[in-house]
Amino acid sequence: MSKLREALDAGRFAVVAELIPPKGVNVADMLAPVAALKDKIESFGLPDNKQAEMRLSALAASRLVQEAGGEPLLHLSCRDRNRLALQSDLLGAAALGIENLLLVSGDYVTLGDHPDAKPVYDADSAQLLQVARRMMDGRDSAGQALHGNPTFYLGAVVVPEAEPPGPQFLKFKKKVTAGAQFFVTPPVFDLEKLRIFQRDMPAYPIKLLAGVKVLTPAEAAQAESGQWRQVYRVPPEIWERLQGKGEEDFFRAAVDLAGRLLRQIKEENLADGVYLMALGRTDWLTDILKIAGI
Amino acid sequence: MIIAERKPFSEIFESVQPYDKILLVGCGTCVAVCLAGGEKEVGLLASQLKLAAGLRHRRIEVGEITVERQCDREFLEPLCDFVADYDAIVSMACGAGVQFLAQLCHFKPIFPAVNTTFIGVNNAMGHYTERCRACHQCYLGLTGGICPVTMCPKGLLNGPCGGMLNGKCEVDPQKDCAWIKIYQRLELEGRLDNLTEIVPLHPHARCTSPGTVIHPAYKRRYGVHE
Repeated sequence: MSKLREALDAGRFAVVAELIPPKGVNVADMLAPVAALKDKIESFGLPDNKQAEMRLSALAASRLVQEAGGEPLLHLSCRDRNRLALQSDLLGAAALGIENLLLVSGDYVTLGDHPDAKPVYDADSAQLLQVARRMMDGRDSAGQALHGNPTFYLGAVVVPEAEPPGPQFLKFKKKVTAGAQFFVTPPVFDLEKLRIFQRDMPAYPIKLLAGVKVLTPAEAAQAESGQWRQVYRVPPEIWERLQGKGEEDFFRAAVDLAGRLLRQIKEENLADGVYLMALGRTDWLTDILKIAGI
Repeated sequence: MIIAERKPFSEIFESVQPYDKILLVGCGTCVAVCLAGGEKEVGLLASQLKLAAGLRHRRIEVGEITVERQCDREFLEPLCDFVADYDAIVSMACGAGVQFLAQLCHFKPIFPAVNTTFIGVNNAMGHYTERCRACHQCYLGLTGGICPVTMCPKGLLNGPCGGMLNGKCEVDPQKDCAWIKIYQRLELEGRLDNLTEIVPLHPHARCTSPGTVIHPAYKRRYGVHE
């Protein structure tokens, strides 16, 4: 059983830190947080060409994390693979002992750095969860028997702040039915939104990892210019606190904010754990955990 | 209908550079409605070609003809003899029309004058939007008459992606999220139950191109047995 699953099943607050697979083959920076934090947190998230930007394979990165002594949470996106490739990678992950999966549809290709690439989406995230669940029972998506069943801990994304909420809840319910065992949210800055989501969420047997993110000056500029296109809200008082700061001070304040949010989420029991996004920086991740008292 | 856009003039002109006698063939159906390749557009392109050739001190002969449908053998076959007098053909039909014309008129170089874009609707003069991707498995009965395969850029069959923002699409914030529209429509119709089951993976085997459809009443004629 994965450390992440063990912690969540035991009711312990779990922390997953996102790493940044490089655009290239120098993996030292990506792996730096593993050595520093592998004994402090449960898992390391490996995004799969996040925001449709071509980077080192998440599956290969997950293996490298294992070799460095950490436990990976492998993201698998429907954007870049058809059902053969998805299942093949799922089996590959299982054979490497990678159990934690985050199955996502994937940001659209035109939003990334290869806008002319062919988008695949042979499966959507609900279908992929269903496929992975069936593989655990020994069948592939065509109904053929597998020689050795994989073991997965299946994760999916839910957006607590989606507006309107109805269609998002519909997808959420389908993902639960399909076999999702835990959910990860986008970054949360308005904790009231998380409280409302927890209150309104039906009593499903799932675990929730709240997204905690270090804001960047680029995001601040987006918000200031009215170009904000994120599925989470950052309250104006947070922007006010970060306004007018130079880059170093901005990041110091953003790291402090992330640490405080993490602490509050844990103290108020607003989620079963967190998914931490700090640009894969060891120093920031360490500081956030320290501020949060973890 | 099929929507197309005319290719840039420079591309068309370059493609017919080696020829002195060129036949422009328009199509009177879809591409005429979307103002890309009907009779008027044939006339316009003919004038442009002659003027451009004149500027290069060349005299070319440009024939003009528009048939009702280039995708229909009945309308195309009479063209075959007519084509014999020309060195090259420029078809202003969609890709289907260009290929059918090429198939029927052997030994004549043929060039497209439009880029075929999608199956869509005529919202108003000059404004066309896509509605169908001809996916061989119509979900419209399930999704309130709004196609998730076409109207969602990702073609998601089981609900919106995580990028939907205030009811708008992640890919183009000017456009409504298809799944919000589907949900709202079914909610109004009291048919949200339609969406509770997970729609299975799409049967892409049916989409293997080139597709063929034989009407059940004609199966014997074409030697097709169930």
